[in-house]
Amino acid sequence: MSIEVREVSKRFGTFAALDRVSLDIEAGELVALLGPSGSGKTTLLRVIAGLEAPDSGRILFHGEDSTDKRVQERAVGFVFQHYALFRHMTIFENVAFGLRVRPRSQRPSNAAIKRKVMELLELVQLAWLADRYPHQLSGGQRQRIALARALAIEPKVLLLDEPFGALDAKVRRELRRWLRRLHDEIHLTSVFVTHDQEEALEVADRVVVVNKGRIEQVGAPGEVYDHPATPFVYQFLGNVNLFQGRISRGIANVSGRRLAAPEHDDVDEAPATAYVRPHEIDVGVYQTGESVPATVDHAVALGSVVRLELSRHDTGEVVEVEMPRDRYEGLRIEHGDVVYLAPRRARFFLNSQPDHTATAS
Amino acid sequence: MAAVLDTRLEARPNARRIAWVPLALTAVALAWLTLFLFVPLFAVFFEALRKGWGTYVAAIAEPDAWAAIRLTLLAAAIAVPVNLVFGIAAAWAIAKFDFRGKSVLVTLIDLPFSVSPVVSGLIFVLVFGAQGWFGAWLTDHDARVIFAVPGIVLASVFVTFPFVARELIPLMQAQGRDEEEAAVLLGANAWQLLWRVTLPNVKWGLLYGVILSNARAMGEFGAVSVVSGHIRGVTNTLPLHIEILYNEYQFAAAFACASLLALLALVTLALKTWVESRS
Repeated sequence: MSIEVREVSKRFGTFAALDRVSLDIEAGELVALLGPSGSGKTTLLRVIAGLEAPDSGRILFHGEDSTDKRVQERAVGFVFQHYALFRHMTIFENVAFGLRVRPRSQRPSNAAIKRKVMELLELVQLAWLADRYPHQLSGGQRQRIALARALAIEPKVLLLDEPFGALDAKVRRELRRWLRRLHDEIHLTSVFVTHDQEEALEVADRVVVVNKGRIEQVGAPGEVYDHPATPFVYQFLGNVNLFQGRISRGIANVSGRRLAAPEHDDVDEAPATAYVRPHEIDVGVYQTGESVPATVDHAVALGSVVRLELSRHDTGEVVEVEMPRDRYEGLRIEHGDVVYLAPRRARFFLNSQPDHTATAS
Repeated sequence: MAAVLDTRLEARPNARRIAWVPLALTAVALAWLTLFLFVPLFAVFFEALRKGWGTYVAAIAEPDAWAAIRLTLLAAAIAVPVNLVFGIAAAWAIAKFDFRGKSVLVTLIDLPFSVSPVVSGLIFVLVFGAQGWFGAWLTDHDARVIFAVPGIVLASVFVTFPFVARELIPLMQAQGRDEEEAAVLLGANAWQLLWRVTLPNVKWGLLYGVILSNARAMGEFGAVSVVSGHIRGVTNTLPLHIEILYNEYQFAAAFACASLLALLALVTLALKTWVESRS
């Protein structure tokens, strides 16, 4: 079932959690709402679920206005960050809850409930835990039970609020791959909230980057990562270094290098900031043009990649650089050496541009 | 290894030197408890049974005493359920919803704790007494509140007002709203939510609040004393009856009745300990 969010606003006191947010989610899609804490992503999810009422705007499920529909009638499956399992019920009863509270006329028989619950427990591969209580389970197991419980009511939409946020890194990686596979099997329209960009990029069909109650960018993971629409998106999706330069008619001049900036070919002589990823910086031992001198503070080899931390002589700022290991070894530099930096590739934003320009593509 | 042994050898004499401190502290605590708890408790039962078992039973079976026991049980039987319902409603509203005036409500619930019981009684005399606000109306309709059973019930309800709510509010707040939200999303209505999710999660706290509430309802003296009028066999509760007997120098009977209240307190304590060990 498709979800449409139309011009939704929500304030908490004077704080604008959502500011005229519009978003279309297609049936069967797995969408990530990605943003820092306090960006409004969880509020958006709760508004879709009906747990919060929007101050203005509408929510449509499958084209039908559901803004004023009661939570119970929305048929929304919801998974909480801290699982929210019923602590006094067994795992079986937790999963059965949604079926048992149905009005008598729609309630399945006990045998049908049992069959359905065991089917769901098989799906999350935890049938052997049916008689345990939530506190006897690990975090990862609890979250899978929470998912089974949400699926028991055969929801039209599945919403997950930081589903892996409370788990340790290894379990988190396993579970998100598992979620992706599950989604490929059941094709349920799903929205999950996360502040972890890696998680969003790895799991989702589309990523919605949220900041300060607005949507910064919507797009496929590769698109969002490679073509960030705003400085915020650029900084939020991975590490970035900033270089100052000038742009004129699609050509940027940064640290003595001329780089293409085709998206600004209508600009005539303006100061701009270059956003450069760590692997897009050249490091040399001799100065060329106006390349920036910097001192090597730190070098860590992580497998085939070496990560350098340097401090710029002109601004004192820290620059992060990544390069292949053999190139690093070819340079023969070590801690305390002075090197010269120049961006090889960059994305430019004009300095006059406010940093939260909302553009949804 | 040698280092470990060394520290052990050093630690030993130290441990021996301070061993008398915990002993002394324990002795002081025990002496204190004996003086203020065990001796009075023993005295109650000793005095009650001093003139023999026959006198003890006679004192309790005496019609006025029996009437006082019944009235005390009646007041508790009304006050406890009323406060149970109110306490659950108030705690649910305060812990699970946000609304204007919430802090005022929390303060109001605590009011009976902070007001002297005598003042609590006087409030009802001023409102329902013969000279009170509704006094004339009540007289016209031939109804009595003050110096009658309804007044005693009202006073008991008032003084036990906070127990259940006070017990539940922090518990419910600590548990958060996630489980309730999950239940609603799964289709539960308000009634199913209350019976299947909220109450099972707080059942031990609830029982604890009921036990405390009951103990206070049965033991209340001040507020009930003001509204009772001390009519023997009609408006005397057990604590009031004990006071009258004592003032009439019927010590054995007074202590016999007092031993009943003391027994109640002991049973309450035992129940409370059991509940705490379960939760």
